[in-house]
Formats: sequence, C-alpha cells, structure tokens
Amino acid sequence: MLNYIFRRIGYMLVTLAIISVVGYLIVELPPGSYVEFEIQRLRQQGGNLSQDQITALELRYGLNDPIYVRFWKWISGFVRGDFGESFQYRQEVKDLIGQRLMFTISISIFSLLLAWGIAVPLGVYSATHRYTLPDYIITVLQFLGLSIPSFLVALVLMVFAQRTLGQQVGGLFSDQYQTAPWSVAKFIDLLAHLWIPIVVIAFGSTAGLSRIMRANLLDVLGMQYVQTARSKGLTENVVIWKHAVRNAMHPLIMILGGSLPGIISGETVLAIVMNIPTVGPMYFTAQLNQDLYLAASFLMFLSILGVLGNLLADIALAWVDPRIRYE
Amino acid sequence: MNQTISSTSDKAASILEGEDIILKVRDLHTYFYTDIGVARALNGVNFDIPRGKVMGMVGESGCGKSVTALSIMRMVTKPGRIVQGDIALFRKKKGGENDKSQIIEEINLTKLEGMGPVMRSIRGAEMSMIFQEPMTSLNPSYTIGDQIMEAILLHQGVDKVEAEKRAINILDGVGMANPALVVKRYPHELSGGMRQRAMISLALSCTPSILFADEPTTALDVTTEAQILDLMRDLQGRINMTIIFITHNLGVVAQMCDYVTVMYLGRVVEQATVDDTFYNPKHPYTSSLLRSIPHVGSRQKERLMPIRGVVPDPYSAIKGCPFHPRCSQVMRGKCDAQVPGLTVVGKSHTVRCFLYSDTVEEASNVR
Repeated sequence: MLNYIFRRIGYMLVTLAIISVVGYLIVELPPGSYVEFEIQRLRQQGGNLSQDQITALELRYGLNDPIYVRFWKWISGFVRGDFGESFQYRQEVKDLIGQRLMFTISISIFSLLLAWGIAVPLGVYSATHRYTLPDYIITVLQFLGLSIPSFLVALVLMVFAQRTLGQQVGGLFSDQYQTAPWSVAKFIDLLAHLWIPIVVIAFGSTAGLSRIMRANLLDVLGMQYVQTARSKGLTENVVIWKHAVRNAMHPLIMILGGSLPGIISGETVLAIVMNIPTVGPMYFTAQLNQDLYLAASFLMFLSILGVLGNLLADIALAWVDPRIRYE
Repeated sequence: MNQTISSTSDKAASILEGEDIILKVRDLHTYFYTDIGVARALNGVNFDIPRGKVMGMVGESGCGKSVTALSIMRMVTKPGRIVQGDIALFRKKKGGENDKSQIIEEINLTKLEGMGPVMRSIRGAEMSMIFQEPMTSLNPSYTIGDQIMEAILLHQGVDKVEAEKRAINILDGVGMANPALVVKRYPHELSGGMRQRAMISLALSCTPSILFADEPTTALDVTTEAQILDLMRDLQGRINMTIIFITHNLGVVAQMCDYVTVMYLGRVVEQATVDDTFYNPKHPYTSSLLRSIPHVGSRQKERLMPIRGVVPDPYSAIKGCPFHPRCSQVMRGKCDAQVPGLTVVGKSHTVRCFLYSDTVEEASNVR
C-alpha cells in the first residue's frame, strides 16, 4: 500500500512538471504581451510613451529574453514561493490569490461534502426502492438538478434570501464586516453569505452523483455476493451498506478526483453572478489581459489541486477495493 | 407462527417411508411480478426433505429449482414474492450441551417475515446455501476470513479471536491448503476451486442442519468437481447434514444423492429414491431426461433422444399437466384438461401423471 502511494506521488510530480511547461507555453501563446496591452491602454487614455519607456518596461519584465529563460525564471521562483508580480494589479501574486484560493477551496470542499452527504443516501434509497413513488419523485428532482443552470438557481436563491429571509446577498461579507477584523460575528456573517454558493454548487452535483450511485448500486444488488450476504442472515442494512454500497462506490470516488478543478471552473459564472471573491473571476480576467504571472500561478495552483484530488481518489479507491492495490 | 401445517394440507403427508422429515413444503407458489407479466416460477410445489440425507433436485433450466431454494431460505426479493403455500422446518431445539431430549420444534417459514429477526437467525445458522458461481459469490472487497467470520460472529456469539480460529478450522476441514494464510487473502487471489471451498466453509461455518447447494460444481473443471463432490459427501456424513443438491447433471445425482425430486415448470412431477429414479422412472418427463444423456457402453449407432421442444415460458399458464405439450404419451382430452394429482406408485415413490391414476389436483385458489 505504501509502495503504491509513493509511486502515485512520483507520477504526480512528473505530471505537474509537464503541466508547468505546457501551461506556461499556452499562457504565453497569444500574440503580444502585457506590455503591449499596457501601451495600448495608455495611448487610449491620451498619453504617449516614448521608445525609452517601452524599452524600460520590456527590460523590467524581461520580455526580450528567450522563452526558456523566462520560463526558468518563473518556475524556479514558483517552487521557492515567489510567484512574481501581477502586471495589472501591481501587487505580488501571492497576496492577490492567497485569500481567494482559500475561499474557493473552502466553498468547494463544503459543497462536495454536502453533495456527497445527500447524494449517497439518496442514491441508495432510490436504488433499494426502485420503481416506487419516492424513487420517481427523486428521479424528477435529479433531472431538474441536472438541467437547471447553476446561475439561475443562484439568482432564485438570492431573491429568496433577500425577500424572505431579509439577508444581504452578494459578496462574502455584509458592509459593516467588510474591513473589520475576524470575530465570531464576522464568521457568522460569512456563513450567512456562504450558504447560497455552497447549496447552488451542491445542487447540481448532488443530482449527477445520486444518479450514478443509483445506477451502480442497482448493478451491484444483482451480484451473487449480495445474495451470499443475505444467506448469512445479516440484516438488510448490513447487506446494503457493508456489502453492496462499498462495491458501488468506485465511479463516485473516481469522479471525486476530477471534480475539484471542475467545481472551480464551473463556479466562475456563479462567482461573477454573486460577486464572490473566489479564484474563478480573477483567473478569467488575468487570462484576458495576459497578466502572465497571475494567470500562470492560478493555472499551477488549480493543476496542483486537480492532481492532488486524483491522488486522494486513487488512495481512497485502493482502500475500498483490494484488487487495485496489486496492479 | 408455529401453526402446524400438516393439519391444513395433509393431502400429501410424508410418503418417504421410515424417514425423519426436516422440511415439508406444501403448495408453494412463488410469482415474479415483472413488467411483461406475472412469471409463475413455482406453481404449487410439494415435497418432503428427509433429515440427514441428500436430496437431488433436477430439471431443465427455468423449472424452478433455484427459486424453490430461495423461497425456502426466504430470500426471494422484489419483484418476486411467495404468494401461497407453507414451508415447515422441523428443527431440533438446541438445548445445553447435555440436553439429549431432542425436542423437535416446528416453524412455518412462510409465516415469518423474510428479513425479520427470526428468519435471519435461522438463515446462516440453521440453513445455508452454496451458489453456482464461485467467482462471484464472494465479496471482492473483504478477505475470505472476514466473510467467514461475519457469519460466526453473528450467530455464535464469540469474540473475533475465537471466530478467526474457527474460520481457520473450517477452512482446514474443507481441505484448503494453508488455511491460516487464506483467511487473509481476498477472493481474487484464489482459484475457482479454492473459492468454492471457501464458499462451502462459509456455508458450513455455523454447522447448519440444511444446506442448499445450487449447482455448486457447474463452473468448475471435472477434477475440481470430483474433489468438491467428495468433500460434500464426506462432510454430510460427518455432521449428519441434510443437503438439497440442485443440479441438471444426472451423473452427479447418481453419485451424490439418496433421493431425487424431479421438477418441471414450477411443479414437482416425481419424487423417488435414487435407484427408483434411474431404474424405474414413472413420469414421462423423468424417462425422457434419462434417455437424453449418453450411457457408457451404448452402441455407436444409437442416437440420443432429446426431449421435444423447450420449456414453455413461465408467463403463460398451461391448462392441464404442464408437460403435456411435449409428452410422447399424452392422452388428449385428459392431460390437456386437468392437472394430475399426487399418486403413490411404490415405496417412497410418488408421481403426478394420469398414466398411473386418475387423481386430479384440486384447483388451489391463488390470488
């Protein structure tokens, strides 16, 4: 088992190295650079830049170096924790993304927990009560969850929260706590704002996850070993949860591995709608503006999350299914 | 719960002479309510199982052998349901170590809730089952030891250490090499024969008095099959277990069984001792089954006699004797009009056929 984990971590590092090269190339790929973008902006505002100023800027950002030198400068800084400076914000990337990344990760993890907490029991229930009225009702809800776009759910919930619950919606904090230091009241205020995005993200993924759970459990329930478990005289609960559900979890765990990056990019639209300071919107504009270091750092962090998610899923899968431990 | 059923339907009181009956099945109907109709898998099954003997159950695929076993184990799941009938289990009350009183208690299994506590305490402890596919009948996620110990922990109230000791003992008893190592292994690390031995250990872990073996050797090669059959015969003798051996291999029946129950389309058509079944078959279906297998020493030119047609689908109800459309000795106006009743044709030998008597089966009013 330990051997297996070490090998997986090795693969993970190789994957990340490849991603850093390819990712950096792609971010650099569009013609022009941030300097040209900046010059254009200044000219539009009526200012004019002398050739000297342009050369100074180009020199400052090392734009005349060959690409592998620039890549090396960036990546060697990145592993030491120096992510460079954002052109657009004139701030250290580190300071810009730290809190956003934290919000993104916590929203993702909470919505994943919520989605799993609902999806697994729901899927098990509808599989064990197949073709009964509750199963049909669950199925209808699942299709609703799959087909309604998340921003719409967000808008509906926002209206509901404001009109009915009288909550201030949008953003993460109410005005009075925006700049206040952390306190219990501020934390409660954060939770009051956080529940809408968490519920919205969970809503969509619960539907998909519970469909998968239902389909897989139905397959497993037809397996001979489920009958074997019954023939021992175990209670139906033990038969279902210990013997059937465990063997129906594989696809769900594999989805979990890939779902972290998915949730982060999926949440972009939602974050724009709700004005939540998460990673998505900033990553989006950084790429539009060719804000090289900001975009590349975001890309690396999201990749690290994705690869890490897959590693955790692989370990969980090996724990659930002994056949995977000995490939 | 313990309502005596011999009084409600004693029209087929035990005909197995001189045998102590452990299981009495009367007028058992199990239906499957599917989208395309009601499949009448069991259509009034009647038979007795003698204690400490091996009863073979034979018949073509789809005649209800497995469903009979599952019905008795009360493991028929939706959309299937037992709609009518009684199953009486005569179990020896387990007193203390020195209790030799041998009180036999009668339990009507159809009156119990399939997943209820009483039925669960019987299942796995009093009766257990070996399935056809050793490859899929063990859970891939748990070790062999875990799976055997689960039953022991559930029924015998011992601690984990003792349960593991017993599991290793049982594995040793079924001829598993290195049992102490095997308990730590997962099913995918064992061969088919080893898995079937593990499955047998699981079924025997609480020394049940009845064992259902549902084609336990069909998926195995002949050498392994012979070993497993020897093992079962040996174990049966050692702990005086009753085995209900479901198979369509008549060779295995001849080797293993004391009695034979022949089923056709959800009904028992003949029950007899193994000798009578092979040398003095009464029902045309039994004779055709026997004619359709090759004999050693038969002349080369002699052709095997397959049974005409196939088993009808269980969705359609057939009027009269279920076998009459395929029977070579069918009597028009009789066989296709009424269902033949049970007729005693010899010692411990019963048959349902109008060739031997005019007894008609009373129509049972099934919902």
